[in-house]
Formats: sequence, structure tokens, C-alpha cells
Amino acid sequence: MKRRDFLKYIGVGGAGGVLGFIFGKVSKPPVGKLMPYLIPDPDIIPGVANWYASLCAHCGAGCGVLVKVMEGRVKKIEGNPEHPVNKGKLCALGQALPQTLYNPDRLKKPLKRTGERGRGQFAEISWEEAVSTVAKNLVDLNKSGNANKAYLLTHPLRGTFAKLAAAFMSSLGTSNIYEYELFQNRNLLYALETSMGLDCIPRYDIENTKYLLSFGADFTSTWVSPVLYSDAYGKMRQAAPGNRGKLVQVEPRMSLTGASADEWVAARPGAECVLALSIAYALVEKGYYRGGEVDAWRSALSKYKPSAAAHIADVPEKRIYEIARDFAKTRPSLAIGGETVSSYQDGVSGLTAVNILNHLAGNNGIKGGVIANAAGEKPDFKKGIAALIDDAAKGRVKTLIINNTNPVFTTPDGAKTVEALKAVGFIVSLASFKDETVALADIVLPLDACLEDWGDDEPNPSVGYPCRTLMQPAVSRAADTLGAGDVFLAVARAVGGKTAGRLKAASYADYLKDAWRDEYAKNKRMSAGTLTFDDFWNASLKKGGWWHPVGETKKAMRVSPSAARDAASKGPSMFEGDAKDFPFYFMLYPHHVHRDGRGANIPWMQELSDPMTSVVWGNWIEINPKTAERLGIREGALVTIESPFGKVSAPAYLYPGIRPDTAAMPIGQGHDAYGRYAQGKGQNPIRILPFKNDLRTGAFAVNSTRVKISPAAREGGIVKLEGTANEAGRDIAQTVSVSEYMKMKKEAV
Amino acid sequence: MPAVILQLRKVTVDKRTYSEVNKDILRLMTKTGPGYYAALGIVASLAGILFFLPWAYQIYRGQGVTGLNVPVLWGVYLVNFVFWVGIAHAGTLISAMLFITKTPWRRAIARGAETMTLFALILVALYIFIHMGRPWNAYWTMPYPNQRELWLNFMSPIMFDVFAIGTYTTSSAVFLYFGMIPDLASLQHQTTGWRKKLYSTLSLGWRGTDAQWTVHGRATMFFSSFIMPLVVSVHSIVSWDFALSLVPGYSQTVFAPYFVTGALLSGLAGVMLMFTIMRWAYPFLTKYVTDYHYDRVGALILALSLVWSYFTCMEVFTGLYANTSLELEHLKFKILTLPYFKLYFLMIFCNSILPLSLIFKKLRVSRPFMLFLCIFVLIGMWLERYLIVPNALSRKFLPFMWHDYTPSWVEVSITLGALMFFVSLFMVSIKLFPVISLFEVKEDIGIPMKHEHRKDGA
Amino acid sequence: MSGNPIKAIIERLKEFRRPGYYKNYDHKWTMVIDLDRCNGCEACVTACYAENNLPVVGKEDCGNSRVMNWIRVERYVAGEYPDVKVKFIPILCQQCSKAPCELGCPVYATYHNQDGLNVQVYNRCVGTFTCATYCPYDVRRFNWFTYKWDAPLEQQLNPDVTVREMGVMEKCTFCIQRIRAGKDKAKDEGRAVKDGDITPACAQSCPAGAFTFGDLNDPESRVSMLAKSRRRFRLFEELNTEPSVIYLKKVFADGGGNPPVGGHTLAGGHPPVKEGHGG
Ligand code: SF4
Ligand code: SF4
Ligand code: SF4
Repeated sequence: MKRRDFLKYIGVGGAGGVLGFIFGKVSKPPVGKLMPYLIPDPDIIPGVANWYASLCAHCGAGCGVLVKVMEGRVKKIEGNPEHPVNKGKLCALGQALPQTLYNPDRLKKPLKRTGERGRGQFAEISWEEAVSTVAKNLVDLNKSGNANKAYLLTHPLRGTFAKLAAAFMSSLGTSNIYEYELFQNRNLLYALETSMGLDCIPRYDIENTKYLLSFGADFTSTWVSPVLYSDAYGKMRQAAPGNRGKLVQVEPRMSLTGASADEWVAARPGAECVLALSIAYALVEKGYYRGGEVDAWRSALSKYKPSAAAHIADVPEKRIYEIARDFAKTRPSLAIGGETVSSYQDGVSGLTAVNILNHLAGNNGIKGGVIANAAGEKPDFKKGIAALIDDAAKGRVKTLIINNTNPVFTTPDGAKTVEALKAVGFIVSLASFKDETVALADIVLPLDACLEDWGDDEPNPSVGYPCRTLMQPAVSRAADTLGAGDVFLAVARAVGGKTAGRLKAASYADYLKDAWRDEYAKNKRMSAGTLTFDDFWNASLKKGGWWHPVGETKKAMRVSPSAARDAASKGPSMFEGDAKDFPFYFMLYPHHVHRDGRGANIPWMQELSDPMTSVVWGNWIEINPKTAERLGIREGALVTIESPFGKVSAPAYLYPGIRPDTAAMPIGQGHDAYGRYAQGKGQNPIRILPFKNDLRTGAFAVNSTRVKISPAAREGGIVKLEGTANEAGRDIAQTVSVSEYMKMKKEAV
Repeated sequence: MPAVILQLRKVTVDKRTYSEVNKDILRLMTKTGPGYYAALGIVASLAGILFFLPWAYQIYRGQGVTGLNVPVLWGVYLVNFVFWVGIAHAGTLISAMLFITKTPWRRAIARGAETMTLFALILVALYIFIHMGRPWNAYWTMPYPNQRELWLNFMSPIMFDVFAIGTYTTSSAVFLYFGMIPDLASLQHQTTGWRKKLYSTLSLGWRGTDAQWTVHGRATMFFSSFIMPLVVSVHSIVSWDFALSLVPGYSQTVFAPYFVTGALLSGLAGVMLMFTIMRWAYPFLTKYVTDYHYDRVGALILALSLVWSYFTCMEVFTGLYANTSLELEHLKFKILTLPYFKLYFLMIFCNSILPLSLIFKKLRVSRPFMLFLCIFVLIGMWLERYLIVPNALSRKFLPFMWHDYTPSWVEVSITLGALMFFVSLFMVSIKLFPVISLFEVKEDIGIPMKHEHRKDGA
Repeated sequence: MSGNPIKAIIERLKEFRRPGYYKNYDHKWTMVIDLDRCNGCEACVTACYAENNLPVVGKEDCGNSRVMNWIRVERYVAGEYPDVKVKFIPILCQQCSKAPCELGCPVYATYHNQDGLNVQVYNRCVGTFTCATYCPYDVRRFNWFTYKWDAPLEQQLNPDVTVREMGVMEKCTFCIQRIRAGKDKAKDEGRAVKDGDITPACAQSCPAGAFTFGDLNDPESRVSMLAKSRRRFRLFEELNTEPSVIYLKKVFADGGGNPPVGGHTLAGGHPPVKEGHGG
């Protein structure tokens, strides 16, 4: 017996203790090898961290990261302090990258379907077999003259990989590239393009604005580029002494950003567009608008005078005028429109109305307003998910390559996505996890985590000047996986012919480097300052990319009254279901870290409480406490929400920040597959939506139906961390009023 | 003095003789029927199943098998700890305090009470281990020299506890043993075999000479005076575990006397409960523990209950008087929230209202009623601790962290099992050692003895 | 004081009241958290999970309030629809200068080190829970079980931080390993630690820049500047725990469901013991 053990026995002294140890030694982590490096790797010094600059691929914001690597393992992710998008900061989801890399449920080998499609039965195969199977299928398709029946469905692509994918598909003789993700900015890009003539998401200069009017943009947690905007938010509040920007948030359900707002305007769901237009009218009416075509504007907007809009939007007329006054008088001011608005059936009108506001108040092109960016990647508006599902259902899709996107999870039951995919001849899925869509594939190709792969990115929205981020592997591959670029190159080689001819690079790393070399040769700003490309390349790898903070993009940004006329003609956005049978609006929003469901397989993200409800490991239905009282719903009770298209049950959370005529649910949970942490947690509310797609943009609208709520007697099994959200008068998070704050500022030296 | 003597006469049943006393006690110790074995077997195996096995499981899995959480990190184990410290007060109170105040009726029940004290303290010590996250390191709470120069934090109330309880256990053990020496000596003549050996060894050559009695008397006086402050200090110190924190509901200046009073109350109830049960099991004990005892102890319980009630009112009153959110929320949770509302008023009923009935002598001497009352007082006192220990933690400073506590099956089982363990220890001990002090009862019998005056401190 | 033995003795005894018995600390690490910047995104929480090897306990234990977060973002809601006011406050160990938790620990498993930090010695902890019970801020976390990382998640564990054993208490350390590394680096370079050398993980990650970390002993440091802010307050100042975490008040719109400001403290009207709201 070891001395230590002996002391333990003595220490406990009782029979109970002894019995305890008979059950097994008090659990200790098993002893591992202290130093796994018998022959040391010259790059690895035990105990000393290497930091690699790279790119976070957990969402589309494109934050630059530094990866801390010790002993060949990724230890931590931090923001890259030099990177202009996130400036060294990182959101919760980004910091969870190591848990994607080391996720126990990652796919480790290529798989081949063995059972019936959709049953999820697969056998492991070798890469050679997998690639040759895919190549053979593509070659056969080509030979039979059906080349245009090969489709690529991918998450939105940017940078060099987008070019590679396009080259690959076109060499096969098809242009069927469908980009899809649930929250994809399609409506935003479309509205910007059609009403303002912008080919990019501009830089909303939240940092310098004094009055931010946000229409449902949850910009500090999920919208477009959360870290960029959170940083800007912090600076707007407290960076410049004496100047504290004001935030007014218009949304039916208070989002995380709404919680930090100075004012919350709970407009009627779908009527934000009307509210924005009536504010615009007030701007014109009160003479705040200083530009031309006053009469044209007045008449274009006249349908929504504040007096009329007040009823539709459920916002008092007086308040509309106040907002208009503040918005115009506070210089600079800024209006933004976010997911809540863009996810309506007519999301474009709401976003257009926001553009109108910025135009009328003169916020375009000024510091603290809307600043143009260089042209960014933009999806093909014709190629929405509905179009693809339609093609698939009609048998027009023979071969479908799905790259890291999960339409089965993010489309409603009514879309019949599964049936449509079952009608596809051959499905290749490139993914890291066995999610709901992967389950339908014939061949599954396991992808690298972004910390093992090469890549690059042009963030969109960008930062007002050119910015390219580089992604480089921080560690060697943990399993038998490949990067998506390498997969395409391997398949191209196996296909041979024209395809192989156009994609000759031996690896995606080479392809990427070549692409940058070309760019370097062409772009003077890139080549300035470095002698050779290799110098530039190495410097960029070290820094995390290339950005050039001078030479801001200047673009004309004008909105014409006809845009207003267009938007005004649509009226408030539609909700399916009859108000009598389905009395509640149903609002869906991305969970702050699960987003569209992608974060649900990360244990940290499951255990990170939702900031507004503190719920963990599941989801919930938000109901106003008054409504709940009326319906006899207790907190945590199981509640069934029924739309004309289906129903879903989840525990109720009594949420004071929601309109009494609205119910809301976060998206992200309710996975049937996607690994042990995601599976069977909560419910997927998307299932009960109508499959409403905007024909102009191809965007799928999630805020589109009414529901009815019926309480079930059972407990819903909600798990939340909060005891109570009531401060009990203890003044814990102390506050000062604005007037007092101003006094302080004056008194301060 | 005459009054004392007079009272003394009343205490005893005059017909008893020395030999009868010897016989009675010896019978109790040596004549063991199947009923006893059956009872002991059941109780001991219950102790094993309910106490040791779950504890072993807890050590193996971790404290997570309890219902504890953040912020309620002190639960039923600490409640039991305080409760048993309380029970442990009876012995000392009866032996030492009443000895010094020359209360004659203590004699018959003192030994039993002291034995109870010792076993209760064993449970107390066990509960310290049970409640620890790493019980195998419990010896670290002891000051011992070591290479790494690790020392203890003498500012910590927990450290006070270790010493207070250590001292109390040692002194009660010595006090108990010391008081038993004359009895053991007398028993060695009446027994044979291993018992004889045991008693003769333990009696340390006591022969009952005058000189020995003199020393014994003086020493008893000394021990009594020494141990008496411990009665006050031990439970005061235990109360400081709570009172020295900042937690609303813990940080109360009234806690020390409040806890001591409560401890004495529960201790007396425990002793009376024990004797009532023993009288039922061994009817001849009626000769020793008489109605007079019930009457006196009943009166004392009544007095203590009144003091306790006063402190309970003060606790609420000071909270209300402070009128801060902290105090008010704590009180609201403890008194007005279900299920604690019910528990609180059950406690008040048990400890304040029910004992009021002891005003009537008829009830004081009614054994079934006293049995019932003692059980209720014990329940009430346990509840008092329960309503203080985990309850206050449920409503600490930050409302976001407020969380309730429900004991897990492990905690419930260990609580019951520990009681069984206590009972089995006691059952074994009455067979090994005289549960009624022979020599003191003999003093009671009333034939004037030359030592008596000295014994009574003359 | 000379010549008055009583006074001398009192002075001597007073020394024992100084936590850790240090006369002077090398540093006074301080965290300033600007509540007007915090938007409740919880990036700080995740950063702490990553940096300090915090285990994931699962749904059931989360429900039992046994989540292992060393920093949490508390949210308080006042008012009813449509006038709802929400406040976030990140709460981590306040690194009290007069720490109640230290008073409670019988074995000095938690004590003050020479940096003025309240540190937890896992090896010494016996698990009496006293520290956590005494902590007014409920920031201490206990290892209820032996927590496991599903392979290969354990590969990401930070080798600079211990993985705690069952039965010990843990809490925010102000990322002591980072403080160590910063001090070592400064020493290697033969200089004193300068402001900005050391940033705890949570402070590093905060997208809104709500945290500032530094040495309050250094009058030039950013925290020293911010600590003078008129918006400053410390959590439950009246408890006299002297926290090293200084909060800056959130600015709230006038009117609405705002709680009263100024002079309104926990103890029902007593002004804060020291410093008050000003600087
Ligand atoms: S990371 Fe910053 S903004 Fe986000 S919750 Fe933490 S302190 Fe607040
Ligand atoms: S906050 Fe709590 S744990 Fe931290 S030093 Fe203060 S009392 Fe101790
Ligand atoms: S200072 Fe370090 S240990 Fe403390 S909460 Fe922040 S990250 Fe966690």
C-alpha cells in the first residue's frame, strides 16, 4: 500500500471509508505519458506556446484569430489583435473552435451508405474509394449528357474557395451552385442593391454614431458580424468621453441587443416596415429632410403618416415623431435593419425602409453613418433553397454535392426537403459531423476543422478598406480528413479531362498560394512594401492576412422615392394563419451561440446559458407573463405551439420583453442527429413553419406564421441557471441616469 | 441543606437496598434476552445499510450524490452536526451543571445522559467527515508538525469547531469514565469471566477508601466546573460557524445563546426520551427514574422552551428591525414560503407551544405524554437547524444565484442510518457499562453515608 | 506610540488583521468592468472555460445549480411590458482584500498571496465548503464529482492550469497563470511589469471591451484612471470585503423603470463605507 493510500485509510477511519475504497480507488485521471516526445520535434518546446494566426470559420463574419498551440495541440483561441474585423476580440462561438476540432463526434473517415437512404447506416471506406466513386459518378453524368444535372449546394462561399468551386463546377459543364444558410443576408444584400445601388454590405459605423435606430438587428450577438459590432457598441457607449451614443431598438421581442438598448420599441411583428416609413414621413413632414424631391418623397410616403401607422405598428404617434426628431437632430445617426426584419415574408421592404431613413437623415457616407465597402460576394438571388428543393423533387438533380450546410434541419417539414433529397440520384456530403442532411448522403467526405485547413476570406461586411484573412492549419490533422478545397482538387484529378486540367494544383494550399500570387502581381497596394511574393506571403501568414487601412471606398449611396413607393405598397408583412384561430405571432431568432443550429454540438455552447433566459441544454418558448397568466401557464410548464403547419412542444419561459400577442422561440436546438451533445436537446421550431421564400431574393422567411398556444399539464424540464431575475431592491448592477451622467461628465476634470 | 435533603427523600423509593440496586443493574447488563438481540440486530444492520453503505458510495462518487449545490453548500449533514452537538449537551448539563447547583434528581439519570453525550459526539465527529469533500485528508485540520510548514488558520470558525469539539469529546469521555470508576470497581466483584477482567482493569485499582473518595469527590467537582463552561462554549462556537459569516440569516449576534438554549432543550428531550424507552424495555428501572424526575425535567424543558421562544422572536424581530432586503427576503423565505412555512410553524408548535402544556404537573409526570413531547421537541429542534443552515444559504446576496435545496436520498439515508448507529452504540453500551450510576443511586437511598457531605460539596 | 506598551501591542495585533500577514503587496491587481459597455454576450464566460479547464457538467447538474462557471453574467430585469429594463453584470471572484472566504478556511487552502490575490490551493483543500458559504458573491465552485472530458476533448486542456480533483473548491484566479507568465516575461526582459502586460482571458475576449485589468498600485495604470471614475462602485461595498473588482455604473435612460440612484444601498440607507460613488 502506498503511503498516500495508507493515509487516506487512516484519515477516513470509518468502515464507510474503507468500503468506499473497496468500490474502487477514488477516481483519478488515468496516468498518461508525461512526455510523449521521446524524439523531440524541433518545433515543439514543451510548455511553450506557439501562436498561429488564422481565421474563424464558425460563422460568416470572418474574424481573425490567434491559435494557441502547445505540444501539438490547440489549447485556446483568441482574437487576432491586428485583425480589423474583430480587433483581438472573439465571441463565445468563435472561442469554441477547439471543441469542434476535438469533438468526439467528428467524422473520422469517408463513409459509404450501406442501408436505405436516410437510415444513417454507413460503412467506412478509404479516401481513394470515396473520391473515385464520386469522380465516376460525375464522369458518367457527363458522358450521358446530363452535366447540368450536377448541383453543388454549399454554405455561402467567399475568397479563393469560391473561385475553386466555381471553376470545378464550370469545368464539369454546370453552373448549378446554390448557396444556402438559414441566416444569409440575402434580403439585406438585395435591399441594399435595389434601393441604394450598393454591391456590398456597407460598414455601419456604430462606433461613431450618436443615435442608433436598430430595427431588430441583434448586432451584439448574432447579426452579420457580431464581434465587429459589439466592439463598436462598446466604443459607442464609452470610448469618447462625454459622448455616449443612444440605442433605440425596434423589435417585438427584446433581443440581447434590445436588452442593452436605451429604449425598446415593441412594434407589431411585421409592421416595422410601416413604422420605419412613417418615421421617414415624419422626417419629410417636419422638414428634417434637407435633400431634393421633397414632394416626391412626401407623396411616396404618404400612405404611412404617423397617425395611420400608429395603429398598424402599435406605436403611439407621439413616439414616432419623437423618434423622427431624435433621429434627425442627433448627428450622426444611423438606422440598421436586422434579422427580425429581414426574416419576414417581405423582409426586403423593411430593410429598404431602413435605407430610406438613412438617406433622408443624411447618414450615408458620413462618419457615424453608413460607409461603403468594396464589392463583396453576393449569392445568386435566383438560386435559393426553394429552387433547389423544387429541382430535386422534380428529379432534375442527378448528383448533388452538399458542402457543409444543413438544409434538412433548417427547412420546415412542409418544404419536404427530405423527400426531395431522396429523389436525387447521388448525394455527396462534405461535412465534419453526421448531421440531419449527411444522413441522406451516399458518400460522406469528412472535412477538416478550420484549425487544420487552409483557406482565405474577404469579410463581408468588410471594414471600409481592403481586408483579406488567411486561414492556416495550426495543428496536423487529428483524423483521416481533408479540407474542402483538397476534396475538390482530388475529385477533379480523379475526374480527369478538362476538370483536372483547370484544377492542377497538388493541394489546396498550393492553389491558395497561387491565387494570392496572382492577386499580388495585380494589386499594387498588396505588393507595395514587400520585395517578393514569398516575403509577402510569410508576412501575411504571420499577421493573419492582409489589410490596408487607407483608401476608403467611396461610393454614391442614394435612395430614390420610388423605392419608398415600392416598399410602401407592400404594407406590413404577412403572417400565415387566421388571427382568430392562431392568435399569436410566432417569432424565431437564432440562439446566441447555436445560431442556425451549428453550435449545438459543442458542449461549451450547450452549457453556456442563454443570456436573456439563462436556459442551458435545451430550448424554450418565450411568452409574456401577462399572456401566460391569462392562459394559465406557469414558468417551466410544457407548452404546445401549433401553427397551421404543425406543432411543437417546449417548456415555457415567462419573458417580460415580448409583446403579449407574440410568442418566440430560439432556433438551434432540436437536432435528431449531429452528435451526442446536440441530439435530443430541445425542439426544432423551424419544423412548424410554412415554407415561404421571397421570390426576388430566394430567402426563406422564418417569421411567417401565427400560432396558438396550449398549455400541457406536464413540467417541461427547463433547466436555467438563474434563481430570479429580480434584483430584490439590492442595487446590484448599479446605474446612473443619463442626466446624472451628464452632470458627472461636467464635474469630472 | 435541609431542603435538599428533604427533596432527596422524595426522589428515592425507600425500600431499595444496596444489593437490590446492584442486582438490578447487573441484571440489566448481563441478562440478555432474544428481544434485545433481535432489536440490536435490526438496528445495527439498519445502521450498516442506511449509514455505512451510502457513505461509502458518497466517498466513491463524490459529494455530488447529495442535494447540495451552489449556493447551498451546507445541508443536512451540517444540520445533523449541529443537532447532535445539541444532544451532546444533555449529559454535561445534567452531570456538571446540576451537580454544581446540587440538584439531587440528576443522579439517576446522569450516567445515561453522559453516555449519550459521548455517543452523540462520535456522531458529530462522523458528520464532520461525512460532510467533507475530501475526508481522507481530514487529518489536515489537526495541527501537526510537517516539513512543508503548513499550519492551520486559527481565525477560522471551523478550526474553533475542531478544537471545541475535540476538547468537549475528550473531557466528556474522561468525565464519564471517571465517574464510572467506583461502579466498575463494585462490578468487578459481582461478575466473572471477561467482564471481571475488563472491569478490574478499568477500575484502576479502586478500593473505595476514604482517601479515594475524597479525591474522587474533589475531582468530580473540578471536572464539573471545568466542563460547565464547555457547555456554553461548544455550542456558542458551533453557532459562530454561522454567526461569523456575512450571510443574512447566519450573521446574528443572538446565535450563541440561542444555539446553547436550543441545545440544552434538545439534549434534555433526548435524555428523557431515552429513559422513557428504557423504562419500557426494562420496567424495573421505574424504581430509579421516577415520576419525580419527569416532573423536574419537564419543568426544566418548559423553562428552556420559554427562553428558546424568546430568542426565536428576537431573531425574527432583529431581522425585521434591520429592514434590509437581505434580512427580509431571508425571513420571507424561511417563514412564508412553502414548504418552509409549514416546517416553521411545526417547529414553533413543537418547541414553543407544545411545551407550554408542561405547566400542568399531570402532564409532566405522564410518561406517554412526555414520550410524545420529547419526540416533538427533538423534531422541532432538528427543524430549527434545518431552517437555519440550508435555508439561509438559499437566499444569499445575489438573487441570480438563489437556489433551493432538497436533500438527496443519500443524505436522508445517512441521517436515519446515523441515528440507528447511535442507538446501536447505546444498546451495546448499556450491556457493557452501568447505565445508572450505582454509587450515586446508593447515595440516594438515604442511609447516611460518611462521604455524603463531601460529595455534596460540604 | 513610543512608550505606550498597550498601543504597541494593539499595533502589533492589528498586523494580524492584515490578510495573509503581508505588510505590502507587490501588486494590487484590479479589474474594472464597465457595465455600460457589457451587452451580456458571454464571450467572457467561454474564454474562462477555455483558459481554465472548466468542466462541462451536463444538463442534470446544471439544473442542480452546479455549473462550473468561474464567471457568470447575471441579468436583472425590472418593470413590465412595455417598459422593461434589463441589466447585465459579469460576476467573477471579487478578489476581496478582506476576503470572508479566507476567514472560513481552516487549513489555509485559500489565502492571500504576495500579489494581493485571493488564491485557492487545490492540493490543500479538504472540502469543508466554508469558503463558498462565506463568499457573499457566490463565485466559488465545487468539484462534486470527478469530471470527465469525452476523448479527444481533453487534448485541448490548458497545461498551465491544473485539472481539479473531486472534492476540492475552485474559483476565478484572475488567471494567475497569465499573471505569472507576464511577470516572468518582464523578469526575463529585466524590467518591471507594465500596464497592459497582463490580461486575463475573460478581459482579453470581451468584444465590447468592458474589462480593464491592471495594477492599482501603479498610479499611471488604466485601472487607476478608471477607478477614479464617478461611475465606480463595488459590489456590496457595505460588507467591507474590499473587492478588487470595480464596476462602472451603467447609464440608464431617464425615467422608465429605473431603480433609484445614489444613496440607495443594500443596507437600506446606510451610505457605503468608503469612497462612495465618487472617486
Ligand atoms: S464578454 Fe464583455 S460584453 Fe460580453 S458578457 Fe462578458 S463582459 Fe459583457
Ligand atoms: S469574491 Fe468570494 S471567493 Fe472571491 S475573494 Fe471574495 S469572498 Fe473570496
Ligand atoms: S480572470 Fe481568468 S479565471 Fe477569472 S473569470 Fe476571468 S478568465 Fe476566469
